[in-house]
Amino acid sequence: MMNRSLVLLLVMMCLTSTVQAQEVSIGTVREAWDRMDILVQPLDVVSGGTEAQEAAWVLESVIGVDLDYSGLFKALSPAEGDTTTVTFAIEGVLEGRLPGTAVTDAEAAPVLNLRLMSYPGRQVLLNKRYRPTWDKLRASAHHFVDEVVLFLHGEPGICLTRIVFARGSDDRRDIHCVDFDGEGELRLTANRQLNLFPTWSPDNNQLAFMSWREGQQGIYLLETATGEVRAVNETPGSNLNPAWHPSGEELLVSLSKVGQHEIYRLGLQGNIIRRLTVNPAIEISPSWSPNGRDIIFTSDQTGAPQIYIMAADGSNKRRLTFEGRYNDAAAWSPNGEKIVYATRIGDFTQIVLINPDGTNRFELTGPEWRNCEDPSWAPDSRHIVFASDRSGVFKLYVLDILEGGIRQLTFGDEPDKTPDWSH
Amino acid sequence: MIRKLGLLMFILGLLLAVGCGKDAPVVVDDPTTSIPMETVPEEPVAEEPEPVDVVPSGPTAEDYARMAPQEYGIEDLFFAFDEYTLSTEAMMLLEASARIMKEHSVLTYVIEGHCDERGTVEYNLALGEKRAIAARDYLVSLGVPASQLRITSYGEERPFSNGHGESAWALNRRAHFSRP
Repeated sequence: MMNRSLVLLLVMMCLTSTVQAQEVSIGTVREAWDRMDILVQPLDVVSGGTEAQEAAWVLESVIGVDLDYSGLFKALSPAEGDTTTVTFAIEGVLEGRLPGTAVTDAEAAPVLNLRLMSYPGRQVLLNKRYRPTWDKLRASAHHFVDEVVLFLHGEPGICLTRIVFARGSDDRRDIHCVDFDGEGELRLTANRQLNLFPTWSPDNNQLAFMSWREGQQGIYLLETATGEVRAVNETPGSNLNPAWHPSGEELLVSLSKVGQHEIYRLGLQGNIIRRLTVNPAIEISPSWSPNGRDIIFTSDQTGAPQIYIMAADGSNKRRLTFEGRYNDAAAWSPNGEKIVYATRIGDFTQIVLINPDGTNRFELTGPEWRNCEDPSWAPDSRHIVFASDRSGVFKLYVLDILEGGIRQLTFGDEPDKTPDWSH
Repeated sequence: MIRKLGLLMFILGLLLAVGCGKDAPVVVDDPTTSIPMETVPEEPVAEEPEPVDVVPSGPTAEDYARMAPQEYGIEDLFFAFDEYTLSTEAMMLLEASARIMKEHSVLTYVIEGHCDERGTVEYNLALGEKRAIAARDYLVSLGVPASQLRITSYGEERPFSNGHGESAWALNRRAHFSRP
């Protein structure tokens, strides 16, 4: 097994040899980043016939897309490079016919071996063994690319992450879920209500969300494994934007039960841990800093919504945004380095990035994107999912803040809103 | 424009309620008291201060329960962009609504706050609630029992018009009365 410093050396060598990455449009955010070339070799299908060959094509395709979506790599097909020109290659062997779902007899399952190789020298850097079924085929490829990202980049990949969101219009708005690559869409609620603001618990096992029941807003929890739903808070008035504490043991919410919107820390049984704001103004959209020490939120105490920051006990409130008359929906990046929020510019809402001290404001979207709302960070602190009505209906898009590239995540005629990226 | 229409509807409603339109003087069962049409002053009638006193002989609460509030004079209110303060027109509409609500105290209402599509989902939900609260508080100040009213907000989520542009937006910035 190769040690980390040798890998880093290889990475450095590779960086000098890769082709120039596409033009970087967000140069002020961070240094321009060169993507690393990785050759994706056709898998060696030993047995299993045409069905196994089809599975191999799916795996090769998913691996290539995952590498590209990471923002770190450029996947090359055999037509675009070979082992004499690239440093890294992914190779593999598939043996056996794939069952639809898990087989009871492990020995009867097919074997998939995926390897990360380095050239010249044909050294094996990673060797992973899977027993894929058709329903887990893509997950095998996602898992392997995450291993590649961790090995070569030193930080976890996001290929197995998912995004929850609200889909539908008017009275019927269900919580849906989609894989990070836009595949595997799943509907999670069917309560014939208006549901909004789904957010993943830190362990991804629960979703907190807002729902109207008989015209009254409430905060609810959904177990992702069972689909079971229970109420957390149904006090009269608003029950807005639940946000999980990094510990997973409490929520931040905006309630208006006292007649005005205030920020509360709420236990998962609906018990109030602390009321954090006392102000006749609208106070909404709370969100924790990744270390759980600070809270960012929106207040319109100056007559227009602006982003503020306060300590976890509600002390030391100060204003963060001074540019623009309408700022809301702030979210802190998981690595703590940036805050993203929505701002109104002209008739449209756009996505803006700032440092946690309010400096370095940078507009990530422009009017050609019409309205861009509800940004949420991927765990890599590099990608952001948001809703835009660029196509005439709100759909979800993923933005790479380093390269500036945007890809569409969801499709179809129904509006998709309030996305949240899993951890 | 929309608010003016509302006001016009309100005045028309009053005319009908008082029974003083062009047809009012025709009292067939007692010809001796009939007043020639020409003598009925048109203008003051519309501003008759307490026209609703005549209403009790009209529909009952049971009749109203079968109707949408807008069909018997409880009109929706409209708001300016990013505003939740009541306009003079909105207050006049609420004063008319308050009389009907006090007359039929068994009827309860949900006041829904709505916003146009501009701005964020979050802030619009809060703004919508402020609009509903403004309407409720004024009704309560006019003597409508708070127990008769419930508020909620749908923000920009349930627009009355799906269009884009000021004519659609103006229709969507409202406090809407519904029955629970």
